[in-house]
Amino acid sequence: MSAGADKAEGERPFWLTVLASPLTMRLACLGAILLFWELAPRMEWVSPVMLSTLSSTVMIGFANIEVFLANLGVTLGSLLLALVIAIGGGAVVGVLLGSIRPLRNTLLPIMSSIYAVPLVVVYPVFTAWVGIGVESKILFGGLYGFFPMLLATAAGIRTVDSRYMLAARSMGATRVQMILHVMLPAALPSVISGVRIGSALTAIGVIVAEMMAATAGIGFLITQNRTMFNTAEVYFGVLLVVVLAGTIDWLVSLFERRAADWYPQKVRAI
Amino acid sequence: MAGLSVVEAEKTAESTGAGLWVENVTHVFETGGESLMALHSVSLEVEAETFYGIVGPSGCGKSSLLLMMAGLLQPSEGRIAIGDETVSKPLPEEIGVVFQESSLLPWKTARENVEFPLYLRGVDRRVRERAALEMLELVGLGEFANRRPHELSGGMKQRVAIARGFCQNPDILLMDEPFAALDEQTRMTLGDELLHLWDRNKKTVVFVTHSLTEAVYLCDKVAVMSARPGEILEIVDIDLPRPRTYEMMATEKFGKLRARIWELIRRTQQK
Repeated sequence: MSAGADKAEGERPFWLTVLASPLTMRLACLGAILLFWELAPRMEWVSPVMLSTLSSTVMIGFANIEVFLANLGVTLGSLLLALVIAIGGGAVVGVLLGSIRPLRNTLLPIMSSIYAVPLVVVYPVFTAWVGIGVESKILFGGLYGFFPMLLATAAGIRTVDSRYMLAARSMGATRVQMILHVMLPAALPSVISGVRIGSALTAIGVIVAEMMAATAGIGFLITQNRTMFNTAEVYFGVLLVVVLAGTIDWLVSLFERRAADWYPQKVRAI
Repeated sequence: MAGLSVVEAEKTAESTGAGLWVENVTHVFETGGESLMALHSVSLEVEAETFYGIVGPSGCGKSSLLLMMAGLLQPSEGRIAIGDETVSKPLPEEIGVVFQESSLLPWKTARENVEFPLYLRGVDRRVRERAALEMLELVGLGEFANRRPHELSGGMKQRVAIARGFCQNPDILLMDEPFAALDEQTRMTLGDELLHLWDRNKKTVVFVTHSLTEAVYLCDKVAVMSARPGEILEIVDIDLPRPRTYEMMATEKFGKLRARIWELIRRTQQK
């Protein structure tokens, strides 16, 4: 991670170690992308209608910052409520399905099948039911993140080491104590990966819903500007979405570091 | 008043020491339509405050027997009882279990693991913390109270597991090959420590092991079981004086007892 991590290898001069470190490389890649973003439209490698320069994107964005922030606020509000449905609901149903065998055997395969369906196709039906207001974004985003959260939680609960359960049972743990003090903590690494995937998909759900039919929100703003060929505004919106997604991921990893530091190998698949 | 004594005082009023009776227990388990007899008509009488060993060849059902004693598994036939009470579910105040491999909860510190059985029982936080620390001191891990299991060695983990068993403070402590995963030097040391703890805090101990030396060194009586289906071949009285010392291992008597157990196991393996 850090620049000096592989200093122990000796031989190599310090400047080379710093230059070849993953962090330097990552920053270099980011720099290259930003540079290309600025140069490509400026040198007319790409038509400025397709891509506005980085500098004009940022300047136009900050000129209209109130509009962007107001819409970002709408998106954030919907996202928070959608996360309650996805993460909260997914965790509760996941625990139930993971720990109660008949429920698991009948419902879990159905849940996996639903997860495999691209839910975007039902969004038009959604708007017919609850309109194109903020409620449909919340419900749709919530639904989008609900299934991965549920499946990860159920999988975590199901694969809890049976030795822990046997020991707790011999110590007289009740069913509720078993869930709270053995199953949930043991399933935490899996639950956290559910939170990671679930919250990312919830954000996608909310923004996609805003792009398809809405009256406000960052997704709505991007689509609206696109139809008017306001390229710089479109890219500034995209930039805000990137920052939003990065922030969510960062918050989840903070939580992960605090909550599951006992877990010896942190396997992060996604 | 010291932490552990508080927990102890709570229960000494109702009962002192308990024996365990196993009457004609048979265990049959089903695997894919086939039924397999693991234990056949096993009877044992474990008197209160004895250190009782169970040895036998691999797969003779000694671990299943222990699970049934703990109320974690139901016998197909027969009965297991403490006094007049049939054991049909876990009885944490009367029976505790120390498992084979570390069954410590990895997200809890050593202290939290040791106090966990008291927590489940609703013992006040200060009391259970003090009891746990006291037990950890007794197994020489006072300084490691705030470490998590993955930061401890195999021997330390089993010490914590034993401390947890004693902290739960049941009348009967069942131990399922608690030292199986440890190297010989560590298991000898832990055996001595266990005897020391048991001396200070007398309990009925049922100790399942593969090691004949360990069985003779630790136990008052050793039940020798046959290959599957497990039956009791003989109950060997270990009439060595207590406290046991390592010098005893070099005595003729120790050797004879160990050889007697080996003879029984060897014969059942050949059959």
